[in-house]
Amino acid sequence: MIKEKITIVNDAGLHARPAAALVKVASKYESDFYIHLYGYKVNGKSILGVMTLAAEKGAELELELDGPDEEEAFEAISELINDGFGEVYEDGDE
Amino acid sequence: MPFGDHESIPKKEKIPVSYLVERLQERVQIDLQNFVAESTADQRYVTEADLHRPGLALAGFVKLFTHQRIQIIGNTETNYLEDLSKKEQIDAFKNITQFDIPVLIITHNNVLPDYLLEIADEENIPVYGTSLETTHFMHLTRDFLEDQFALQTMVHGSMVDVYGIGILIAGKSGIGKSEVALDLVERGHRLVADDVVILTKKSNVLMTSATEMNKHFMEIRGLGIIDIMSMFGVRAIRYQKRLEVVLELSLWDESKDIERTGLNRDTTSILGVDIPLINLPITPGKNITVIAEVIAMNYLLRHYGYDAAEAFQDKVKSHIANKTDPNAMPRRAIEYFEGDIE
Repeated sequence: MIKEKITIVNDAGLHARPAAALVKVASKYESDFYIHLYGYKVNGKSILGVMTLAAEKGAELELELDGPDEEEAFEAISELINDGFGEVYEDGDE
Repeated sequence: MPFGDHESIPKKEKIPVSYLVERLQERVQIDLQNFVAESTADQRYVTEADLHRPGLALAGFVKLFTHQRIQIIGNTETNYLEDLSKKEQIDAFKNITQFDIPVLIITHNNVLPDYLLEIADEENIPVYGTSLETTHFMHLTRDFLEDQFALQTMVHGSMVDVYGIGILIAGKSGIGKSEVALDLVERGHRLVADDVVILTKKSNVLMTSATEMNKHFMEIRGLGIIDIMSMFGVRAIRYQKRLEVVLELSLWDESKDIERTGLNRDTTSILGVDIPLINLPITPGKNITVIAEVIAMNYLLRHYGYDAAEAFQDKVKSHIANKTDPNAMPRRAIEYFEGDIE
């Protein structure tokens, strides 16, 4: 099982589009994926679950992955989050 | 365990006395009037749901005195104080006010003499009075506080009220929980929450609700997000429902042990409450929605005292016990057919 903290970097936070991207990537893997925030634990493969968190820029999520392909899944998910879900930054240098 | 380990989150760590008083007045409709130190009520905090009557502490026994609780002065305490001289009263009262008491409540229209109230005022302990009798007041207040300090957790599943029975549909992502919930809604049942369900332990009951974010949205794969309340109207939703049965959907697995009689009942423990658990493997031709309805009706039948599995079992047992001829086979259900001819 992997448990790692990761920070949301894109300005708009975890709104519908990034949430959908996250869920899509997570669903490609067999491993169970949970996100911990505010003491809540939501299923990272559920779009409603991820959107319910309404995580803003700077929010620190704890990712929990458990399964045969957890390493690959963690890598793909953290890359997506660290990349700001590919969203364009409004103020270039931040 | 359909949900794995779940940490419980206390709903609140502490609530200010002013909030407690306000809520009790508004929501529980208790009349409460302040005697002294009202201004300190928003800096004093209640941290647990239990209440305490400080009889022994007044008498001087302060060992184990649970001073962090709300202190209730009822008839017994008032009478006890009345039997003392003024000096003794002050000493007795100081036994309790030397501690950091969140709030003191005098029930049943009892009154404390001014010189005692002044002591509380000096120690910044807010004092309130109510006309309710002690046990009634304590019952209402405890119920309110239990809810405030209730343990809660979050699970992944779909919560539906089916014929008044709260069924939580659990199972892996993509197995079709939301689709079953949608089907149930279409058949006139009511959705509590989809995907994110908050469970709150109240007494020994688990209450469920959505979060303020996901109420009453649903995701149907391939379609996206839909709003059940605007689509089906107010009859299709509920804001809260007691959890009564967990229905776990799984893919068919030959090696898995599936219950056949219904005599052995599985349970799952959530926040220390045991909830009946039904494992349902999904197989071709199985209508999960109808099965969910049957589960609810079977639960109701059992609740009202009829258990089909046990009734059948008793029948078989008594047949075996009453057998005289070992070759007698079970008779046909109908003695003879009357001609059913058109």
